[in-house]
Amino acid sequence: MSSPFSINGGACVAMVGKDCVAIACDLRLGLQALTVSNNFPKVFQYGEHVFLGLTGLATDVATVSDLFRYKVNMYRLREERAIAPRTFANLVSSSLYERRFGPYFVSPVVAGLDPKTGEPFICGFDSIGCIDFAKDFIVSGTASDQLFGMCESLWEPNLPAEDLFETISQALLNAVDRDALSGWGAHVYIIEKDKVTKRLLKGRQD
Amino acid sequence: MDTLVARYSRPAYHENEGLSEQDQQDLHDDVPSLSLKFAMPPVAHPSAWLRAASDDRSNPSCPIKIAHGTTTLAFRFQGGIIVATDSRATAGNWIASQTVKKVIEINSDLLGTMAGGAADCQYWLAWLGMQCRLHELRHKRRISVAAASKILANLVYQYKGMGLSMGTMCAGVTKEEGPALYYIDSDGTRLAGNLFCVGSGQTFAYGVLDAEYRYDLSVEDALELGSRSILAATHRDAYSGGFINLYHVKESGWEKHGFNDTNPIFWKTKLEKGEFSNVTSDLSERV
Amino acid sequence: MEVLLGITGKDFTLIAASKAAMRGATVLKASDDKTRHLNKHTLMAFSGEAGDTVQFAEYIQANAQLYSMRNETDLSPSALANFVRGELASSLRSRKPYNVNLLLGGVDPITHKPSLYWLDYLASLASLPYAAHGYAQYYCLSILDKHHHPDITLHQGIKILNMCTDELKRRLPIDFKGMTVKAVTKDGIIDIEFDDDKVVKSA
Repeated sequence: MSSPFSINGGACVAMVGKDCVAIACDLRLGLQALTVSNNFPKVFQYGEHVFLGLTGLATDVATVSDLFRYKVNMYRLREERAIAPRTFANLVSSSLYERRFGPYFVSPVVAGLDPKTGEPFICGFDSIGCIDFAKDFIVSGTASDQLFGMCESLWEPNLPAEDLFETISQALLNAVDRDALSGWGAHVYIIEKDKVTKRLLKGRQD
Repeated sequence: MDTLVARYSRPAYHENEGLSEQDQQDLHDDVPSLSLKFAMPPVAHPSAWLRAASDDRSNPSCPIKIAHGTTTLAFRFQGGIIVATDSRATAGNWIASQTVKKVIEINSDLLGTMAGGAADCQYWLAWLGMQCRLHELRHKRRISVAAASKILANLVYQYKGMGLSMGTMCAGVTKEEGPALYYIDSDGTRLAGNLFCVGSGQTFAYGVLDAEYRYDLSVEDALELGSRSILAATHRDAYSGGFINLYHVKESGWEKHGFNDTNPIFWKTKLEKGEFSNVTSDLSERV
Repeated sequence: MEVLLGITGKDFTLIAASKAAMRGATVLKASDDKTRHLNKHTLMAFSGEAGDTVQFAEYIQANAQLYSMRNETDLSPSALANFVRGELASSLRSRKPYNVNLLLGGVDPITHKPSLYWLDYLASLASLPYAAHGYAQYYCLSILDKHHHPDITLHQGIKILNMCTDELKRRLPIDFKGMTVKAVTKDGIIDIEFDDDKVVKSA
């Protein structure tokens, strides 16, 4: 009940579509049963086409997202180019493993498009950096069981951007409605080659 | 403990199962009889075993998940009693149901509310309904709320320490008592009062209810306040939610005032009255 | 049973903290001030482990003042909130973490926008229109959900604060000895007279 991964609650999901990817998160910040904030986004942008979703302990969500802001900025200055999602995924993995014996209590999700080929890329991690590459979808957070069920039934290959938005939104909203610790609204990002769309979903507020 | 177990593992009244005429009079003077058989697990300490197997607070991976988490409220006012509940059942963080009926219609005059173990509440309030009917048949008049709640309190007290989990309110209006409200829980507490909230969301409901509660509330305002207090609790308490179940108890019996989804009610309250200003409806980031 | 409350309004942030300093079953002091001024327009209230609270708050206060002296400008409330979070987060993974819950209220010196930040001992940070710590969260947030509006005046804010303290007096089993109340406005931090002697009847 009081695992660091489920104190604050939260859910995140990423999906691959045709020449696009989507990543979405809920907005709840709680302390066990108490909802403290309804505006705690868990998806962060690190470049034109690179996104990171973080669920787990809220303090580590903030710490880790700030840490990667710093690391990605340093990468850009040193290399004089934007980081690619696959490179970023490896950076996330090695950074998490640096804390092997005192981990950050987060379950990250990376979603993005390759800057050269435009190829969709998504992957997930455990809290100490093991990468889980996927061709379809990645889920994380307290509603991950529910999200697996929703994604397995709703997702199909080569969804165009608008259909992908509908799919990921329905998957997330219906998953968090069966989880006590996540929900209270959601953010959805649809990432296409020349356009990133961010939408706010009004979810149930109970 | 073992003597307790031995007592409960066989029916206390098995010799006079077919009630003779004189017993009928004696029976209701006694403590409510335990002429019910409950199978006991074949272990040395059944109550300790049950606690180990079903208490998800101390053991999150316990094999028996009991539905928990609730907000229920009831308050007395000039027009009778308002009873309101949410409708969510959770097992750990899993929302098992959003459509639980937590108001139990004991009979056409009496209502009971359900918090804690869902099965415990359902079973014993149904049993209480039976006892109330027997009282009516024996005495040719309706049972008082005081007596009905005492029957339940005495019953749960007999099982104290065995793992029953219930926090319930009995509400009814009788000629002798007027509007009467009692709180009964599985520790054996029985309290008469004007206003009670029970469950994991109780404090949130108390917050809204206490601030605007008066005994001379109009029926319309009382219904609105009851419903708004449950809404407050469903918003802040993760283990409360679903539908708002609303009842008004009068001397002529209880009256149902709907079983309504919180979602449209929430957005109506936010957008029309400007309440819940913490909930974002635009994309601007704050932190 | 420490109480911290914070409410933002149109052009101010109200911060209130209970006056009782308790150790075990004893009230050591009934006029404790659980707040520190970080600069002219930022105020921090704290609760938690005895010792840790004041040590951490005064460490933050000293650093905020040092910044103001070195740079001849004050840090904004949001900058301070993120600084405090960073300090608390690095303390969290140290040998002896600070066990402190905080509310940080302020008015931005340039935009004059009021803000309120909620931080717990794990260094979770949230910006909120109203916030509380401890048991007060469970009783007061629902009241604030109902009665708070973003454009309330200071007078209305104090009225809502009174509804909250009334409820706490009604339902908390231990007396918290009234509240220290301060308001941050664009002109600085002002002490607010607050009636602690009001007796609240229970329903």
